[in-house]
Amino acid sequence: MTSPWIVLAPLGFVAFGGLAMMLTEAFAKKAAELAVVTTTILFAAAGLSFALFFLDTPTAPEMVANYLAYDGMAFYLDMVICGGAALAVLLAGGYLREHQIERGEFYVVLLFTVFGAMALGRAIDLLSIFVSLETLSLGVYGLVAFRRHSPRAAEGALKYFLLGSFASAILLFGMALLYGATQSTGIHAISERIASGEVDSRLVVLSMLLFTVGLAFKVSAVPFHMWTPDAYEGAATPVTTFMAVVVKAAVVGVLLRIFFVCFGHEELANAQGGWVPALTALAAITLVVGNIAALIQKSVKRMLAYSSISHAGFILVGIVAAWKTGGDGAQLSTVLFYLLAYTVSNVLAFGALILVGSRGKEAVSYEDLAGVGRRHPMVAVPFVVGILSLMGFPPTAGFFAKYYVILAAVEAGGSMTYLAVLAVLCSVVGAYYYLRVLVFMFMREPAEGNPTAVPMRSGYVTAALVLSGYFVIWMGVSPDSYLEMAVQAVSGLVS
Amino acid sequence: MTELLQAVILWPLLWVLAGLGATKLRPQQADTAGIVGLLFGVLFSLAMFGTPASGHYLSAMLLWPALGAFVVLFVPRQWTDTVRRLSSLWMWAGFVFSLWLLGPVCRDAMAGETGLLGALWSGEFQFFGSVTQFGPGLQYFFGAFAEQPGFTEAGYRFVEDVAWIEAFGIHYKLGIDGISLWLIILTTLLTPIGLAASWNSVNKKVKEFGFAFLLLQVGMMGAFLSLDIFLFYIFWELMLVPMYLIIGIWGGKQRVYAAVKFFIYTMVGSLLMLVAIAYVVLQYREFSGGVWTFDLETLSNLILPRSEQLILFMAFGLAFAIKVPMFPFHTWLPDAHVQAPTGGSVILAAVLLKLGSYGFLRFAMPLFDYAAFNLGATLAGFAIVGIIYGALCAWVQRDVKKLVAYSSVSHLGFVMLGIFGLSQGGISGSILQMVSHGISTGALFILVGVIYDRRHTRDLNDFGGIAKVMPAYTVLFIIVTMSSVGLPGTNGFIGEFMILSSSFSARALNQFGPIQTFFAATGVVLAAIYMLHAVLKIFWGPLKNEKNEKLTDLTSRERWILAPLIFLIFWIGIFPNFFLRPMEAAVDHLVATTTTQANEAQSDAVAWAQGVERPTPPEADDSDAANGEADSGETAEVPTPSDESPQALLPTAPTERLALVLGGSQ
Repeated sequence: MTSPWIVLAPLGFVAFGGLAMMLTEAFAKKAAELAVVTTTILFAAAGLSFALFFLDTPTAPEMVANYLAYDGMAFYLDMVICGGAALAVLLAGGYLREHQIERGEFYVVLLFTVFGAMALGRAIDLLSIFVSLETLSLGVYGLVAFRRHSPRAAEGALKYFLLGSFASAILLFGMALLYGATQSTGIHAISERIASGEVDSRLVVLSMLLFTVGLAFKVSAVPFHMWTPDAYEGAATPVTTFMAVVVKAAVVGVLLRIFFVCFGHEELANAQGGWVPALTALAAITLVVGNIAALIQKSVKRMLAYSSISHAGFILVGIVAAWKTGGDGAQLSTVLFYLLAYTVSNVLAFGALILVGSRGKEAVSYEDLAGVGRRHPMVAVPFVVGILSLMGFPPTAGFFAKYYVILAAVEAGGSMTYLAVLAVLCSVVGAYYYLRVLVFMFMREPAEGNPTAVPMRSGYVTAALVLSGYFVIWMGVSPDSYLEMAVQAVSGLVS
Repeated sequence: MTELLQAVILWPLLWVLAGLGATKLRPQQADTAGIVGLLFGVLFSLAMFGTPASGHYLSAMLLWPALGAFVVLFVPRQWTDTVRRLSSLWMWAGFVFSLWLLGPVCRDAMAGETGLLGALWSGEFQFFGSVTQFGPGLQYFFGAFAEQPGFTEAGYRFVEDVAWIEAFGIHYKLGIDGISLWLIILTTLLTPIGLAASWNSVNKKVKEFGFAFLLLQVGMMGAFLSLDIFLFYIFWELMLVPMYLIIGIWGGKQRVYAAVKFFIYTMVGSLLMLVAIAYVVLQYREFSGGVWTFDLETLSNLILPRSEQLILFMAFGLAFAIKVPMFPFHTWLPDAHVQAPTGGSVILAAVLLKLGSYGFLRFAMPLFDYAAFNLGATLAGFAIVGIIYGALCAWVQRDVKKLVAYSSVSHLGFVMLGIFGLSQGGISGSILQMVSHGISTGALFILVGVIYDRRHTRDLNDFGGIAKVMPAYTVLFIIVTMSSVGLPGTNGFIGEFMILSSSFSARALNQFGPIQTFFAATGVVLAAIYMLHAVLKIFWGPLKNEKNEKLTDLTSRERWILAPLIFLIFWIGIFPNFFLRPMEAAVDHLVATTTTQANEAQSDAVAWAQGVERPTPPEADDSDAANGEADSGETAEVPTPSDESPQALLPTAPTERLALVLGGSQ
């Protein structure tokens, strides 16, 4: 058995990387070089986690100093987070230069945010959960506000900050109550205390409610989603990608741990007021509202924001289904697979969107895409692949991800079958707004007097697109090994 | 693997080099030489890869258009003619390649016969006992394919089965049987014809057009060939995108609306089907103790409780009914047809719609026997409403293309009626009618496209008296009209007659059979009315509109693409046996299993299966490893149907044969 401290290597690597970047930034001549360095650091961290994942994953949950877990899911989330962040940094490398807002602190903040996300993915103590969640959130607030000359960015960041702090406060309140009820902060210890039945169950239920609300804010489930479209639209597109990918993965990770481990008690989950019915309802509302709201958007970026809300709904369906099929979390592999597929598809779609805009003029509305398919097929093709994957069209990663979730939901049976039907009907609604991207790219010419958008050229963005495109296609054609990884990742989550 | 490498890389390379060499000699025809060289190379290598011995014939057939799409991508977009020639020749080569399927069919029909047929097969002519070899004969063309088992017995031929996603038991499994045989050949024939029909009318983005067509062919062929539900689903969805693009990019004024409508309608059905697929597979897994499989044959052994069957059948049925399209889900069809370019309409009518009815035959009915049998009469009712409603709508159209589109709704109503009757004659007739409809409606769309290319209008009132200026066009149009109306001697008659005569007494239609047949038969009369009405308006009468005076008759390209269709119209109409015989065994099998299994479906809530080996129960852990090889295995006790299981409310005789005058089946 490796020393428990070694398993924190990816985390430490990113943290030291961030510190080193602060120094490098002072001396680097061009900020674009920083993008390369940051990407390298992140990919290296992802590789480290990958190695550790296969070398030395314990089958039972283990922890390092009682605060951080050391298990398959932590490494898996590391890979998703670091991989997704690395791709987002590549996008930023092209985007920031093109729009002349290139400053080194971007990468530093981003690295520390990733650090927070990685810590959150393995946090198993209320304290470490809160600290890492705040590390993550503060970083993201900063990143959203990074485009400070844009009023939309300021609006989005402020909104995000206020609502995010609000959510954090709610979470903190829940934690306080939970500590009061159980006299412990470790989630395993809490779960044992709850199982022993010597706790004030009113406090526990109340804190569970607060946790649900707080985490629903963070994963942007309806009706706690109001900040999402504004923050997504206001932020620079690479930051939007980062939020859609990294933040969501980390928060879903902590959500799984809290509900499956901390509140994993049968009665807490399944009772009338338990978290399973609550999450089921949230999933249903999120799917419906997310998809319908996305229908009426005029901005592609906003549409993608709502689409990320509806994907959160799908993730919630997967979580509930996993609970209902056994409660041991084996089916959570569908959620993890979904996260990975969702990450690469989003990078592809956002990356292509970045590529369409140039010289300070971002492509935002559908009209900006008109005629792009004809004039610039090499930009349109990745866009189409990403969109089809988000739509859940075979044979892409997104299709299999959706399919596994549906399979799990049908397996859970009962009311979950109806939820599965609702989910696929919402996907049809989704198909409509995703198709609009194709319609504008291939079937419309720009309106009189408007030129076709001029795509930017950037090796960084291209590299990100090629990488994520590879995963989107390959996870669709041969999802076996990725699924196996996901299954292995959740094997030690609940015991 | 080396085989594959050799086939896919070495041979094409050699031939491309040869093609380039030819280019040196005749620089002005560089592209044609290159195309021909490339084509031969790839075809040759595929032929090697796809021999019956190698067992990859169907993969090769699927790979062929995919490769074509890939090659088209690398042609410079300015070389529009090259793209047209390349993709067209490519698809014709694919057609020839698929003709080998007919090896066993022709052998069973021709070998050993005396007279002309036998002579054509062997190349030997017997004349008063002396034998003369006058040529190589068909059997040489078919080569090893002539030795393949024919379609005289039920079961799949040329089966390929490779594990794909092992965690879920998803296989790449292809196969062909009497039901899919003609539909596949229809696909390979109509795709190049469709492309050729849009040869001149599609002038922008020609490269993308060829690409979309080849990709569409992959999707359609894959859907016809798949024997794994999951694989089928993937191909089923895959063909949506190219068709969506074909309508949306090269269509008429309202193209975007029509394309999106087409896409969304189909997707609603198919996603619900996906949930149903998941349910069936999970039920099977539960029953068999943890075996994942998406294999159609295995899953059709599963007999689900009745209430579940009804719901699942409806989920599958919705997907297929939208595609067919059955009334009331047909509203996307007129839009899609009217807006699509000619080639797109041809493919849509000839092949895409057939996937819906094929889906019923291949998937929905074998999987949910009880539901198929018991919902048959109701669904046949919808089919009949479709027949009459489609015909009436067609009658009042002024737009010829819309008229033909509504006539499709009506004709496919017949197909569905035959299928839901669940009788041998009815299903055979339906399959033949699918092929016939593909040919005649495809031809009609081409003919409408011809006049639209010249006049840029399709309004009946703009025409009149065209027969005087376009005699050849008139003749062909009337032949195709007659086939569409169902005149004896043409292909339309055979299928409709078989369907009507067998639905009269079909058991699945209960006591409604005769009355439903009566109403369906009015559809034939209405077809004559609306088609002849259109012919009257377009061709006869005085030549009033002066714009019509200078119309040119059919060009040779148009004649050539119509020729095979006209030929088939008469061939099927006069010698239907050649087409009916290969499907006989498969249809028999389908009807037999469906009716007997429907009998056995039980009312309580336990699924069970016939002859399925269950793995040993989990407590016998030590034998687990050996379990895989335990060939005979222990056939686990299948829970017998509960005692109060249904008294025979269905006919026990598996099939009900009809002595047909035209004798398809006997």
